[in-house]
Amino acid sequence: MVENRPFLTFLTHAVLIIGVIFLCFPVWMALVASTHGPEALSRSPIPLWFGDRAWENYSQLLAGGLPEAGGVPIGRMMFNSAIMALVITFGKIAISLISAYAIVYFRFPFRMGFFWMIFITLMLPVEVRILPTFDVVTKLGMLNSYVGLTIPLIASATATFLFRQFFLTIPDELVEAARIDRAGPLRFFWDILLPMSRTNIAALFIILFIFGWNQYLWPLLVTTDESLYTVVMGIQRMVNAGEALPVWHYIMGTAVLALIPPVLVVVAMQKLFVKGLVESEK
Amino acid sequence: MQKRVVFRSRLLPYLLVLPQIAITVIFFFWPSYQAIESSFFIEDAFGFSREWVGLQNYFELFDDPGYLKSFRTTLIFGVSVAFLAMSIALGLAVAANRVVKAATGYRTLLIWPYAVAPALAGVMWYFMMNPSLGIVAYWLRSLGVDWNHYLNGDQALLLVIVAAAWKQISYNFLFFLAGLQSIPKSMLEAAAIDRAGPVRRFWTIVFPLLTPTTFFLLVVNLVYAFFDTFSLIHATTEGGPVDATSVLVFRVYNTGFIGQDYGSSAAQSVILMALVIGMTFVQFRYVERKVQY
Amino acid sequence: MATLSIKSLGKTYPGNVTAVQDVDVEIADGEFIVLVGPSGCGKSTILRMIAGLEAITTGDLHIDGERVNDREPGDRNIAMVFQNYALYPHMSVRKNMEYGLKNEGLPKPEIAKRIEEASRTLRLEEYLDRKPRQLSGGQRQRVAMGRAIVRDPKVFLFDEPLSNLDAKLRTQLRAELKALHHRLGATFIYVTHDQVEAMSLADRIIIMNAGRVEQIGTPMDLYLRPATRFVADFIGSPAMNFIEGTVGEDRRSLAINGTQVLNMGQELPARAGAQVAMGMRPEHLGDAGGADIQVSLQVSFVEQLGADTVVHGNLSGGAQPLAVRLHGVHASEPGSEIALGCGMGHVHLFDTATGARLN
Repeated sequence: MVENRPFLTFLTHAVLIIGVIFLCFPVWMALVASTHGPEALSRSPIPLWFGDRAWENYSQLLAGGLPEAGGVPIGRMMFNSAIMALVITFGKIAISLISAYAIVYFRFPFRMGFFWMIFITLMLPVEVRILPTFDVVTKLGMLNSYVGLTIPLIASATATFLFRQFFLTIPDELVEAARIDRAGPLRFFWDILLPMSRTNIAALFIILFIFGWNQYLWPLLVTTDESLYTVVMGIQRMVNAGEALPVWHYIMGTAVLALIPPVLVVVAMQKLFVKGLVESEK
Repeated sequence: MQKRVVFRSRLLPYLLVLPQIAITVIFFFWPSYQAIESSFFIEDAFGFSREWVGLQNYFELFDDPGYLKSFRTTLIFGVSVAFLAMSIALGLAVAANRVVKAATGYRTLLIWPYAVAPALAGVMWYFMMNPSLGIVAYWLRSLGVDWNHYLNGDQALLLVIVAAAWKQISYNFLFFLAGLQSIPKSMLEAAAIDRAGPVRRFWTIVFPLLTPTTFFLLVVNLVYAFFDTFSLIHATTEGGPVDATSVLVFRVYNTGFIGQDYGSSAAQSVILMALVIGMTFVQFRYVERKVQY
Repeated sequence: MATLSIKSLGKTYPGNVTAVQDVDVEIADGEFIVLVGPSGCGKSTILRMIAGLEAITTGDLHIDGERVNDREPGDRNIAMVFQNYALYPHMSVRKNMEYGLKNEGLPKPEIAKRIEEASRTLRLEEYLDRKPRQLSGGQRQRVAMGRAIVRDPKVFLFDEPLSNLDAKLRTQLRAELKALHHRLGATFIYVTHDQVEAMSLADRIIIMNAGRVEQIGTPMDLYLRPATRFVADFIGSPAMNFIEGTVGEDRRSLAINGTQVLNMGQELPARAGAQVAMGMRPEHLGDAGGADIQVSLQVSFVEQLGADTVVHGNLSGGAQPLAVRLHGVHASEPGSEIALGCGMGHVHLFDTATGARLN
């Protein structure tokens, strides 16, 4: 539209810049704090610009961890986080793909029953049934294992719906052409449906990776063995220590390390991320 | 709902849904059933014996002023988070929608907090607001505000509200922006020809057209505030001081794991499940209506 | 190369919805058969039953003498071209054409040879490595045909393959299709709702209505001697004029609406008092002088098509719509009247109640 109002343009940019500052400031402070030593962070006001201990702090964190909080190297925790996030992500995508495929492309007794069973899980976040779920995992002997950390989180109504929605938009004629081309159900899935779902899989990958990486309550419950701690949940132990000890530079360093992987994924694959987010919520 | 042509196979479809259904049954249905069942029992702390008590666990909850206060806290928390996160996001989305140059740059800088875990958001704000060395607490003090969330319950609640809202802005921003971009340009041009200025155009055309998005986000934000922020609170205030930030999910955890009162925790779980199912139902009804649009 | 035998074929969907019933037809080797009819008449269902994409509820289907009712689509030795092309979007043109052959387990050199031949025939050589979305509508349609050709099937099935293309391209591809049929000499079964396509392509047309066959015959059979009023109405453009009335006592007149009487030069082949619809094609109405039937047309509007002029109006003194196609350019004012005539040889007489042909 031809509309030239310099004041409005100024206001627009002002709003955006203030918004950006508001969103970035906490991370800025975390970054700054993680480059100072305990002395600089013991006097108020604390510095707003970087110090010179970045290398020292981060190498200590990654390799040695924080003795006051169990001494598990953050590198180890990040490795655990990565395993958990990737297993959850691939697991969710795999089982959602095949169950959506069965529901859309087959007709069998209890089809709708299964569909509703999956649908209902949407309504029951882990947080509301913590204790009994913990009981089940204990009974199955899955505490303190990667299996216990990941498998219970692999069922996904959201992903199943997204794939179902997408499969429904694929023209019927494509299946028919494939059947005339002698493709059976598995071959159709593998040769045609899977390659056609690439974009959706990639978009979902981002959302699910973030979901998996940011898990907190679940690892808190199923891991008591410190070598299995994940970084997002491990930071809580440090905060408890930080109340008494001057270790904020380590805590903030850990926070920075913990948020780098998911933030990188979002920024690097922004377009796919936006698509995945907006579509998975429809 | 389904394809015109389907594959014929007796066993295959069951094998395909098996993993999903197995996990759902083992980790969703069984625990949910157990939650409902044990909400009717009182169990001793060691799990040796239990006694059927009917609805007693529920009655006790609603007689417990602590639990009722928790309800109130949750409501204040949820509404504040939703209002803050949504209004800031709407302002940013409207601004971003006007910008032509550097639009992607702004968008990138505004969406990344989506990827930050609520627990980390909490910890970062916790640090900035730390009464003795936090930078924001320092600024507040120089403005004459005596900030100490360790002692002041209202301030502690405000802290977790700000941190929770901060994290949710990006999400709301993306949906508002998508909503704004789907408004046909011609409609705004028609309004401009009808001599409506930018502000008037926003309130009479843009905002009403965003109602579906707003409603959807309201439900999502409330669900987020009620359940996903457990980690934020657990990593920072741990419900304190004196229950000031003890929202309902946090209480379920506390009663069960710390207090070892399984029956009461289960009853609280059941109430929360009913709450989520209710909210999902509202959202579902709304989605159906949106389809008819 | 194959013959097809369809015997009392029927399709009923769950909920007792009958889509097709009692279809009988013998198709000769190398014949070009067109199934035509309005949407929902069951023509596509028949094609899909032949392909094996729909289960056959009643009746039998034989290809080359073999009953194939229960065979999978991939095992019937047929190929199908779809209206929306149904190309695999993530595969190149070459991969699209190869896919069925690979699944069949054909040796690589044989596949390569067939693709080379087909792409030469269809002038697709330079597009072999492109994805379908990089092609125009006409090119995609040719790829879909290529995918059918390489299979070297006994029967080619086409489901409205030209409907998504613009008019000019449609005419061009129609000619190519006819040439292809000639070159391959295979059996073609083709579904369309477009009567022009049906007339120009078919050796024989099967015209369907509401799940039943109305008539099977060559295009000229259908044009010259439509078996039912439905066929008469469907084939020909502009559509045939119908004048409904009661046959007079002398069988030489037709009473319209009880008020107007139309006199005939000859006896009508219907009993006195019968309710009939008399059909005359617009192009068969002409000079009134000495014709068996004389009518007067009151003009409402004129379509100048260049080679022809189509004049639309009513039978003078009534509300009966009437159109005439005149050769060359004619100027007629709305409201004016034109005297027209039609020879008895061009008159089609149908029973009003049953729609069956009487003469």
